[in-house]
Amino acid sequence: MKISLRWLQRHVDLAGIEPKRILADLTMSTAEIDGLIRFGDGLEPLVIGHVRKREKHPDADKLSVCEVDLGKGGGVVQIVCGAPNVAAGQRVVVILPGDTLPASGGKGALKIKVGKIRGVESQGMICSEAELGLSNENDGILVLPADAPIGERFVDCFDVQDWVFEIDNKSVNHRPDLWGHYGFARELAAIYGRELKPACAPLPLPATGRRVDVVVEDKQACPRYCGLVVDGVVSGPSPHALRWQLAAVGQRSISLPVDVTNFVMLDLGQPMHAFDARHVGNGPVRVRRARNGESITTLDGVARKLNDQDLLVCADQKPEALAGVMGGAGTMVAADTTALFLESANFHASTIRRTSMRLGLRTDASARFEKAQDPANAELAVHLFLTELQRWCPTAKPAGPLVDPLGFKYAPKTVTLRRARLLLKLGVRLDDDKVESILRSLQFGVTTTKDGFDCVVPSFRATKDIAIEDDLIEEVGRMYRYDNIPERPLHGTSAPPPRNEELFLARRLVEVACLETGCSEVYNYSFTPDAVLQAVGAGGHAYVQVQNPVAPDVTRIRRHVLPSLLASAAANLRHAAEARLCEHGKGYHAEMRDEHKLPHEVRELALVFARRDGAHPFLELREAVGSLLERVGYPGVMQRVWHGSDQPWVHPSRAVAIDRDGSPCGYVACLHPGVARALDLPATTAIACLDVRALFVNGRKIARYVALPTFPTLPVDVALLVDEAVQVAAVAEFLRATGRKLVKDVRLFEAYRGDRLPAGKKSLNFTVTLGADDRTLTDEDEGKFLGKVRENAGQIGAELRG
Amino acid sequence: MDPQAQRDRWLAAVAAAADPAALAEAENRLFGGKGEVAEFVRSVTSLPKEERPAFGKLANTIKQEVEAAVAARKEQFAAAAMARELEGAAFDPTEPGVRKPRGTMHPITIVQNELVDLFTSLGFQWQDGPEVESEFFNFDALNIPGDHPARESQDTFWLTDKNLLRTHTSPVQVRTLQRAVKQGFQPPLKVIVPGRVFRSETVDRTHEHTFYQMEGLVVDRAHGDSGISIANLIHTMKTCLRVVLERDVQVRLRPGFFPFVEPGFELDVNCPFCKGQGCAVCKQSGWIEILPCGMVHPNVLRAGGLDPEEFVGFAFGMGLQRVVMLRYGIDDIRQFMGGDQRFLAQFPEVSR
Repeated sequence: MKISLRWLQRHVDLAGIEPKRILADLTMSTAEIDGLIRFGDGLEPLVIGHVRKREKHPDADKLSVCEVDLGKGGGVVQIVCGAPNVAAGQRVVVILPGDTLPASGGKGALKIKVGKIRGVESQGMICSEAELGLSNENDGILVLPADAPIGERFVDCFDVQDWVFEIDNKSVNHRPDLWGHYGFARELAAIYGRELKPACAPLPLPATGRRVDVVVEDKQACPRYCGLVVDGVVSGPSPHALRWQLAAVGQRSISLPVDVTNFVMLDLGQPMHAFDARHVGNGPVRVRRARNGESITTLDGVARKLNDQDLLVCADQKPEALAGVMGGAGTMVAADTTALFLESANFHASTIRRTSMRLGLRTDASARFEKAQDPANAELAVHLFLTELQRWCPTAKPAGPLVDPLGFKYAPKTVTLRRARLLLKLGVRLDDDKVESILRSLQFGVTTTKDGFDCVVPSFRATKDIAIEDDLIEEVGRMYRYDNIPERPLHGTSAPPPRNEELFLARRLVEVACLETGCSEVYNYSFTPDAVLQAVGAGGHAYVQVQNPVAPDVTRIRRHVLPSLLASAAANLRHAAEARLCEHGKGYHAEMRDEHKLPHEVRELALVFARRDGAHPFLELREAVGSLLERVGYPGVMQRVWHGSDQPWVHPSRAVAIDRDGSPCGYVACLHPGVARALDLPATTAIACLDVRALFVNGRKIARYVALPTFPTLPVDVALLVDEAVQVAAVAEFLRATGRKLVKDVRLFEAYRGDRLPAGKKSLNFTVTLGADDRTLTDEDEGKFLGKVRENAGQIGAELRG
Repeated sequence: MDPQAQRDRWLAAVAAAADPAALAEAENRLFGGKGEVAEFVRSVTSLPKEERPAFGKLANTIKQEVEAAVAARKEQFAAAAMARELEGAAFDPTEPGVRKPRGTMHPITIVQNELVDLFTSLGFQWQDGPEVESEFFNFDALNIPGDHPARESQDTFWLTDKNLLRTHTSPVQVRTLQRAVKQGFQPPLKVIVPGRVFRSETVDRTHEHTFYQMEGLVVDRAHGDSGISIANLIHTMKTCLRVVLERDVQVRLRPGFFPFVEPGFELDVNCPFCKGQGCAVCKQSGWIEILPCGMVHPNVLRAGGLDPEEFVGFAFGMGLQRVVMLRYGIDDIRQFMGGDQRFLAQFPEVSR
């Protein structure tokens, strides 16, 4: 929304206040201002001229050669002009060679030069409104009134230049009174302590005469409807002053009566509709709900299908307008209109909003009604309309009485503001006088009481904006200015805050995964594209789904983090030989619900190691995950081969479960080769998934101290030949059991497979560290241990080598 | 042989050793198993008894003399070696070493962790809430009833099961209050909730449909000296921004409308790019809008199970991307969700 400084000055004297300061003060007390624009900037060089003579160009039918008198502003010059409407005797706006016409309407600035047009010299240019940036009017040159003074600067004689504030509409959504200039004038009057002039003096209206009755069938949807017949209207184009004022705030000029309704709307925030009285006939004008399936063609030429939630304004039963949104096609004022039926009504905010939303039809009117306009303005607007119309069209007059079947009497709402609450919330003590003067400046009625202030809310703030004490605290705070409130630390507390250990665990997991295992942490969308779900074989699962997705193929909310992380890995491998990624995030399982019917949430840390060449990263990732779990204090056991489940991207036979105290809390696996192919990932891709909540339930494990050995330890190398199927962990366990208390450590240093071994066999080569707490071990101890190993190796199908 | 001549020969041999290896060889020849010096000392046994003490003394002196010469020669070599080492002629400090793969935390994680550390040090608890949320917690409980225009301005992603993707972290305000009340409310309550939120927007350089917020909520008794005011809110926000942006920020608080606070504010920081002079980033205003905040609306306290006469609080919701972009000079919001290692590798730091 654009607000003009010149317009504001009609209501409040802002002399001596810089526009930039107004911008700053409105920002700090009232609303967000997106920008400040100079309207009519660069028009200073333009001079008013008199076309003394106009002749047809000797070589061009459509051009005229004019002799223009610029008086003291440039003498008499010859100008070639292409406008069809140029004529001798006109007062026009001229730009001379050497001056520059400012950029406007998408055209760049234009430097004027003396030139020959079809052989005739032209010493300047006669301008159109469009060329001046004052309107879209491009049919011909701007013709000024006959008394425009020759030779004077255009900007000195006409009110064209203005400062325009661009208001961020979102910041005034809660303020119905700020949808017009008068509301902003009221704020500025309060801010600067200046007088606010009345919006308009009431005009006497006839008690009898031509009237069209109004029947409001739904009083909730239409709390007030004022109708008035106005005749004697000359429906031509608006005069320049009105056109330019509207242009400054971005409103296109249409015709005088319509421009005046727009003027009133932009002033008071009250939308109006001027029907050609012929359309309404003898009435009655009926405000009713539409019938399901009924339709109306709005004045933009679109046929709109309606339902019984929509509100219509009808000439008896025939729909003439979609109430509060847009008039019907053909009902508007035409060039030959002489009598108007003027509608100035108040429509229910939600009704208008619903219709406007459903039809995707947002208009200046609907934007205002949906903010809950003050019904008092409906009548005031009629008076302002007549005043403004008569200013430009003195023959126009009310033809009969104001028809206002519902009327409106504001029952003043009082809200109490307690001193103690004001102090409590603002955190600064204000004098009663200060509080009272702020509230009065905003037109609240104020009575001081023992505890504070009883405040009568003005009607224009009462529709939805001011309802409770806190609203008044805001009024005082913003006018006092929050900037003037000194900062103060919160009161200290000595007890540490309760810790959500699950969150801290997740955080540490990410930190260690990144800093220790070399992963880069990725964030992926919660939506997983259908193509990715298909590729990982999870297209058939139950998903939480979005109704209004960003694209038709991204409706599904992820169940697990890995699928999109795999897609990230594939993307990274397009420009890198290796990808090490991790992601911490949530998945949702649609088939399980909590007490609020929300889907079951899982918190996962997923890891991917993928490389184009080299060894398969499974073992590396498994070690990394093992160390990660130890680092965060939640060590797990990884021995059980894990056979998939609902995660089809896991290799069905190359995966190990992560168990804590017997319960599963994740896995490390090779990527399923089919999935690798589908996602264009190498077979050498390893994945891991940790269920943070499952890890967390079994508690943190604090390391236990073991006394350091007092006597030297004895390393013994043991090589055992076993079947491929035998697990390293089983053999290590066998060695431990065999050496009993003497075994301090068992470490595999090589798993050898080769030609020198029988097929299907591997040699597991361990270093077993023996030691005792009370003596130094001897060769004899080593011999005994190896003897037992040799003797018992058969139990696990092994054979001691060498 | 004359002992003195022996001695001279041995000392000459030690002196003649040109390098540590030659010296070691000489040492072995003189002092090893059948070494000459050892043999010389041992030869005392072949002398008549009365000559033995004198010879033994002499032999020992010579032995010590030769040992000392060896030690001195060793020391000379060591000193020369150290001198060469310190000279460092062939040293290239730019030669790369073995690098472990380096991981990086997501820049939002880095900043979020710093904020969590800051706020927990101020006594706030760190909480979390579901990203798939009910209409009640996301809207109704926050004083945004069914026909409120704020619902449409939030561009909600609705789900087919009538739930939604939360449009802000604010639902956790009411969830936290309800939980606290159930457990027997012990004011003050101070909580922060960083997390992922969603708005249905078309993604471009400056817009995302998935982004990160950090909610903050402080609630305390409304009387005694424990009241919570705008003055506390301003202080808390300034402290927080100073830490995250690592500079002495100026802030300004101006009116802003959000249904779940009253009064509501927008908090701006002075633009770091133009030092408040006005530039393209701050749209010539010198200020950057960074977080909405306000005093908790009585209806929200009620939805949380508290009497607004008895309790008072403030709340804020910081857009984390905004802060992260300001801090690192990132100008394309899409990078955050892009998953590109080349982007992520640019932020190797850990949270401070």
